[in-house]
Amino acid sequence: MSRLPRRYLLVRIVSEQAVSEEQFSDAFMSAVRMNFGEIGFARIDPKLVRFDAGRLLAVVACKASTVSELEAAVALISGYSGVAAATLVLRVSGTIKGLRARLAKQRRS
Amino acid sequence: MCQKIAETLSVAGYCTIGLTVPTGLFRDKVTSLRQVFLDNGLEVVLRVDLGSRSRDELLRSLRRFRPSYDVIAVKCLSEHVARVACRDRRVDLVFFDLENPRIRFNHALANLIRGSIEVNLVSAILHSLKRSVYGAISKTFLIAQEHNVKVVLSSGSDKPEEIRSPIQIAALATTLGLLQRTAHDAVASTPMSIVAENGERHSRDYIEEGVRVVLSRAR
Repeated sequence: MSRLPRRYLLVRIVSEQAVSEEQFSDAFMSAVRMNFGEIGFARIDPKLVRFDAGRLLAVVACKASTVSELEAAVALISGYSGVAAATLVLRVSGTIKGLRARLAKQRRS
Repeated sequence: MCQKIAETLSVAGYCTIGLTVPTGLFRDKVTSLRQVFLDNGLEVVLRVDLGSRSRDELLRSLRRFRPSYDVIAVKCLSEHVARVACRDRRVDLVFFDLENPRIRFNHALANLIRGSIEVNLVSAILHSLKRSVYGAISKTFLIAQEHNVKVVLSSGSDKPEEIRSPIQIAALATTLGLLQRTAHDAVASTPMSIVAENGERHSRDYIEEGVRVVLSRAR
């Protein structure tokens, strides 16, 4: 059976305070569930793939056909544990390798 | 605060921003504000939001402020002002308070509009607790698409936490009913074309709409 194509999103959190993986995961999953409901959640199939607490970067994944929905859900995250923060989608790629290349390029510049 | 906003915008991937400044702000203050954004690699376009309550007040403000700002936006507080703002070619953008059910973008205004309709997407959704805002935004998109009115999407943010990347703003609009291509244009080419047109209007060769000097002065 062939795998359904997925998309990987590079997400950057802009916050004055530290954000843990658990806090991000909770906010991320509940944003999808709250805005698209349980059926939407199943359709989008969101996953937290990586989280770097030091640089406040995350890689999240979803089904390829639902990228817009996941981007919109991430845009609607207003903060973590009551502290306001901006959550920005910086890049969308079909592979994690592609996102890594983008990060390396960003670091060089 | 301004520095933090500039840094966040730069991280989010913006290259040009529309900076809304109060009409009474001193020129040196505007220059220093602009410098903060330029230091972070962002081009700045000065814009003013006019919130006039009557037709005369709006026309007076347009006469006074059109030459000194790159973009003129009008917040429509009444149906009467909205009609004048939509018809006037000096107005680049019109926008509405999405929480106010009395005045909304409708088919009559869509027939009149010469500029573009702006939707402050993120601030409207994050500030409002009412779910009716989603409906108001969807209806605005529907009417704009039906009448081929240009749409401009913005975050409308005045805090760093409210900033979202252009990808996210376009995605949010797509989810609320705007076509994907229109949504991408609404965060990229449409605002840039407004800036380019106004830049041309401010040039020395510009006489009026459709008329400009083409021969060089040396000849």
